[in-house]
Amino acid sequence: MRRRRAIVSAVIAWSLVHPGVASASQPPQSEMEAVAIATDLARADGIEAQVRFASQADAVAGMPAEWIVPCLEALREATPAGANWLRSGLERAADRAGEALRVDRLADVARDDARPPRARGLAYTWLKARQPQLADSLLDALLDDPALELRREAVDKLLASAATVDEPLQTEIHRRALAAARDIDQIERIAGWLAEHGEPVDLAATLGFVRRWLVSPAFDNKQGVGFAKAYPPESPAPDTAGWQPIVSADKHGAVDLNATVAAEKGVLAYALATVEMPTAGPAEVRIGSPCAVQVWVNGEPVMQHEIYHASEAIDQYVDTADFRAGANTVLVKCCQNEQTEAWAADWKFQLRICDRLGTPLATQK
Amino acid sequence: MAALRPRANSCRTGAGASVLALCLLLSGSTRAADWPEFRGPGGRGAAPAETIRTTWSETDGIAWRADLPGKGASSPIVVGDLVVVTASSGPRQDQLHLLAFDVATGGLRWQRTFWATGRTLCHPTSAVAAGTPASDGTRIIALFSSCDLFALDRDGRLLWQRNLAVEHPRSGNDVGMGASPRIIDGTVVVQIDCQGDAFAAGIDAVTGADRWTVPREKIASWSTPLAVELPEHGACVALQNPNGLELRRARDGDLVWSWKGDCSGIPMTTEAAGMLYIPNDGLAAVSPVAAESTPSWRSTKLACGIASPLAWGDAVATINRAGVLTVAARADGALQGQVRLAGSFWASPILVGDTVVAANKEGATFLVSVGDGPGGKPRIIAENQLPGTFTATPAVADGCLYLRSETTLWKIASP
Repeated sequence: MRRRRAIVSAVIAWSLVHPGVASASQPPQSEMEAVAIATDLARADGIEAQVRFASQADAVAGMPAEWIVPCLEALREATPAGANWLRSGLERAADRAGEALRVDRLADVARDDARPPRARGLAYTWLKARQPQLADSLLDALLDDPALELRREAVDKLLASAATVDEPLQTEIHRRALAAARDIDQIERIAGWLAEHGEPVDLAATLGFVRRWLVSPAFDNKQGVGFAKAYPPESPAPDTAGWQPIVSADKHGAVDLNATVAAEKGVLAYALATVEMPTAGPAEVRIGSPCAVQVWVNGEPVMQHEIYHASEAIDQYVDTADFRAGANTVLVKCCQNEQTEAWAADWKFQLRICDRLGTPLATQK
Repeated sequence: MAALRPRANSCRTGAGASVLALCLLLSGSTRAADWPEFRGPGGRGAAPAETIRTTWSETDGIAWRADLPGKGASSPIVVGDLVVVTASSGPRQDQLHLLAFDVATGGLRWQRTFWATGRTLCHPTSAVAAGTPASDGTRIIALFSSCDLFALDRDGRLLWQRNLAVEHPRSGNDVGMGASPRIIDGTVVVQIDCQGDAFAAGIDAVTGADRWTVPREKIASWSTPLAVELPEHGACVALQNPNGLELRRARDGDLVWSWKGDCSGIPMTTEAAGMLYIPNDGLAAVSPVAAESTPSWRSTKLACGIASPLAWGDAVATINRAGVLTVAARADGALQGQVRLAGSFWASPILVGDTVVAANKEGATFLVSVGDGPGGKPRIIAENQLPGTFTATPAVADGCLYLRSETTLWKIASP
C-alpha cells in the first residue's frame, strides 16, 4: 500500500511540472498514465480547453476498475472545475466497473483521514452502493472525522443507536453526538431532543456565537450611501465612548440593532467585540445577516457584502482572517436600507469564529 | 376512461400550428413530441396537439414513478427516449444531480453528480435545483442556483461546464436563483439577476464559449428568459426584471427593443401571435415591434401570483396568489370567466389540448376546460391527487403527463 501511494505521489508531482502532457482521449495503458491524466484533468481551468477536458474525462471513464481508486488522490489539488471534470469521468468508470470495483480498496480510502475529503466521500458513496454493511461499519470510527460528510453520517448512526437503549444511555449518546456534530441542523435536532429530555442546551454557546458587543449609535445610510463611506469607527483606534454594551440573549447569538440602536430605516451601526483566540493563525469568520455587512479583524478588512434582505442564514458569509493568540478585535458594520415591506424590517447580525469544520474557536471574557 | 382530446375544428388550430412551427424553429433537432425546456417548446407552456388522461391517483393511471436523490423545483424535460430531471442533496445542498430515466420504463439510464462551486443557500420553498434543464435534442443543459452550468450529451457525458459564480464571484442569491436556461439559435442564454454581479450571457451550445455577456441591473429576479422571433431581427430572447423587459438578439446579445415599467420578478412573460403578455400587477399586452411601447391593454384582473401566464388562440389565462384561474380575451383583456382552484400555485399551468393543467403545491392537479369557444367560461373537469409537495411545472409528451414532487418523478400513463 505504501509503495503504491509513493508511486501515485511521484506521478502527481511529475504531472504538476508537465501540465497538459496527459491529454490523450484513449483509455490509459498503465496505472501511472491513468493517474497522470486524472491529475491533469483535476487542474482543469478556463473555458478554452473544454474539448481537451472532455476528452480526458473520456479517458478516465474508459480505465479499468483497479485504477479508479489511485486516481481519487488527484482530487487533493483539484480546481472547482477540475473536481467536477474528474468526478464525471470517475463516476462513469465506476458505473462501468460495477462489482469489479473492489470494496476493500474503497473502504481503505473512506477510512483514511489523510486522503482528500472529496475522495473519501466518493469512495464511501460507491462502497455504500455496493456493500452497505461494510460502509456502515466504518462510521463508528469517524465521529471526529475531518470530512464533514462522513462525520455527519457517523453522528446519524450514533443517534440511531439511541433508539435501541434505555433512557440514561440515550441521553449520554445524545451528549456525545452533540459534541461530535458540526452541521447546524444536526446540532439543533440533538439540542431539541436533549431539551425535551430535561437537559436544555445553550445553543449560542455550543455554536460559539460572539455575544458581547459594544454597539455604536446610528449613522446615515440613506440610499445606501453609508456602505462605502468610512465613518469614524473605521479608524484604527475608534472612540467607543457612548457605545452601548450588549449581551445577546438570542439562542442563535443574533444582535438585534432595531432593539439596541433604533428601529429606523436608511441607517447603519457598528458593533465591536473583543474575542480570545487560543492560538495565532487563520480562522473562519462566519456571519449571517439580512442586511449589508462588512467585517474587520484587528483593523484589517475581512469581507463586505452589499446585499439587502435576500434571505439570512447562520454562516451565510464565510471568510478567513488572521488572528493573534489572545485578545483580538472584531468590528462589524451592519447597514439597513429603506425598503418598507414587513419582511425587510430586520436589522441584525450574528457572528462566530470557527475552524474550517465549524468548531468554535473564540471565547470572550 | 375519459381523455382530453383536441378539437379538430377548434378556432385554436391556427394557434396550435404556429406553436408547433415555433417549436421546430426554436428547438433544433428535438422531436415534435419532446418537451425540451421549461414550459415546453418555445417556453409557451402549450401542447395543443396532445391528449392526456383525465383521472389518476397514486394507485391508478401511473405509468411509472421514480424516487429522486434530492430536492428540486425544476421540471422534467423529455428528449427522445429520455426524461431528464435535476435535484440537489446533502446538508449544504451542494451535490448537484442530473438524472436521465428511460421514458418507457422509468429505469435510471444514467446519473451524474457534481459539486456546487457557488452559493447554495436557498429559501425552503425553492431549491438549488430550481432551473429546468434545456435540450436542443443533442445536448442537455442544466443551470443550478449555484450558477453552475453543465452541458451533457444524451449518454451522460460531460461536454462542457461553466462555473459562473467562480467567473462572477458576487453572483448568486441566497433566496435561490430560479431562472432556467434557454437554448435559442444555438445559444444557451442564462439570466443571472441578483444584487451582486448581475449579468446575462449567451453561450455557444456546442463549445461552452461566450458569444456575449451583458451586465444587468443589480436587482433580483427569478423569471426565465423567453424565446421570441422578431421579423426584423430573427431569434431573440426576452429578459425581464421588476423594472422592465428587454429583447436581445440571441446570437450576439444586441439590444433590439426594451420596455420600461412594472414587471414581475417571478412569473415570466409569454407570447402569442407576436404580442407579449407581461405580468406585473396584472397583465399587460405589449407589441415588441412598436416604437411606442404603450400596452395595447392592461388588466389588473389578470394578476399572476408565482405562476406564469398562458396565451393561446383567442385567450390568455393567469392564476393569482389566491388560486383563482382567470381566462380573458387575448385581443382586449376582457374577462371571460374565473374559477377558484384550491391550494397554492408555485408551478405554472400548461395547456394540453383545450385544457389548462394546473398543479398546486399540495399535490392536486386540476384539469380545467377552456375549450367552450370564444366567451366560454373555464370549468374544472377533474382534480387528481398525488402525495408530496409539488412546485415544479408539469411536462407533457406523447400523451403522458410528467409531475415532479420534491422526492418523486411521476409519469401519468397515456389515455
